[in-house]
Order: sequence, then structure tokens, then C-alpha cells
Amino acid sequence: MSRASQRIVAALIGLLFMVTGVLKLRDPAAFAIDIQNYRLLPWTWDVIVALYLPWLEIVCSGALLLRIGYRGALAICALLLAGFIGAYGSTRPRGLDIACGCFGHGIHRGYWPVVLGDTLLLAVVIWLLRADFRPLSPVIQSNGDVKETP
Amino acid sequence: MRIALRQVLAILLLALLPAAATGMWHPRRPAWQSDEVTLPAATAWGRDVLWIDARSDADFARGHIPGAASLNEDHWDERLPGVLDHWDTTRKIVVYCSSLSCQTSHDVARRLRDEASLPNVFVLQGGWEAWLKRTP
Repeated sequence: MSRASQRIVAALIGLLFMVTGVLKLRDPAAFAIDIQNYRLLPWTWDVIVALYLPWLEIVCSGALLLRIGYRGALAICALLLAGFIGAYGSTRPRGLDIACGCFGHGIHRGYWPVVLGDTLLLAVVIWLLRADFRPLSPVIQSNGDVKETP
Repeated sequence: MRIALRQVLAILLLALLPAAATGMWHPRRPAWQSDEVTLPAATAWGRDVLWIDARSDADFARGHIPGAASLNEDHWDERLPGVLDHWDTTRKIVVYCSSLSCQTSHDVARRLRDEASLPNVFVLQGGWEAWLKRTP
């Protein structure tokens, strides 16, 4: 896939994280309860995550959209997605039927749509990260100059 | 790789300041103390507890904690005055719904705090399931 296509996909992911971050920021108290429902952390850490995570998503989205700190943002997005898939994936085996809290309080998309959808998103993010690390291939132009292209 | 790590660190640090500001000034910031209470702790309060059942009317009719009042979001306006009639400043309110992962008890508790300005509102950890599993 071309660099242009990669940029479009990265921008879309950036927009997605912006939306999810802003939606969570509307009501941090409700988001803290959503995190509490996972029954993984003590309440104090639920609050810390509820305050910090939306801003991490927003800063990452800004980095992806502006292409400043691009690789770092992709790496964080991948880690966030992997952590979330693990956390939410563990809820059903533990007998919990909860909303993920991804798009704001109380929105229940269903277990498998969340797990599968975010796994797909993680695959896309990892693909973008690998593509960005791929070295540019040199091309010798007709005038003898060397031009680097992806 | 080093550049990527520096970028990760920068992003992590950049998100800290607005997060801290949110924790201090956001009108809907979470409280640092949880509003959940375990069943043993709630029952230890004895008659000082006003139990609120946040489940549907059908679930309430099938069984509820003795003395509990039904208050759910479907019948909020019509039932809230009745709940307030049974409350006084010496009583703690404990809201429950069906289970550990049920959300409505938190929503009802929040409305009692925000709209009715009631203090000492708690949510029963484990909900109705916890009551059913209790040892007598």
C-alpha cells in the first residue's frame, strides 16, 4: 500500500481515538465506573485511569493527525488496544457482562463485536507501525541521481 | 527505535498535565472514594439503611431486599417523593441492582446525589446476587 494510503488510514485512526477520548472526557466519573466494572483495579486506580486515558488518546490522535511523534503515537495506540483487548476479553470468562466504556458511558456494543473489532484495529496499527519502520528503497533515476522511495 | 521511545515518553508526559487538571476542575470528576459498600458492611448499619432497588418492576416483584423501595429510571419522577418521605439525615441509602456488573445502581445513586442532593448514598457491591448468596 502506498504512503498516501497509509497516511489516510493513520488519520482515520487518529480521528477515531480523538472521538473516543473526547466522549470519555464528557463524564470522567461515569468512565471511572465503567473501568470499575472490569473488576481489575482498586478504585483509586480506576479514577487515575479514568482521568489519564482520555487525554492519552487525545494526545495520540493529535500526534497521528499532525504526524508529530507519529511512531510513538502508533506504539502507544497498539499498547492501549492490546491492553484493552486483554482486559475486556477477560470479562466474559469471569462472568461479567459489561459495557466496554469505549464510546462513553452505558453504550454496550456486545462482547464479540468489541473484541473482534478492536483486534482488527490493533492489526491495522501494527501494520502501520511496521510500514513506518520499513527502510526506503533507493531508485536510480534516468539522470543518475539516487532517489529514495517507499 | 530510540526516536520512537522518546516520542512515547513525550506523549505520556504531555497527557499528564491535562489529566491532572481534569481531576481538579472537571465538574464531573470522579470522587477518590468509592461509593460501593459490601453486603456485610451495609447490613451492619442495621435500621440506618434505606435500601433502594434500581431493577425493573418485574424483577422487584419477583423478590427484593426486605424493606427496599423500588426506584428506577423508568419511574423516577413518580417514585422519588415516596423515597424521600422514608429518608432522613440519619439514614444511609444503599442502592442495588442485579449483579456485580449491573450499571443501573450506579446511575440511580448518582441521580440521588446530584438531583436530590442526598448525602451518604452507596451502591451495594454484587447487588441482588450478593443478597441471594449471603449466609444467614
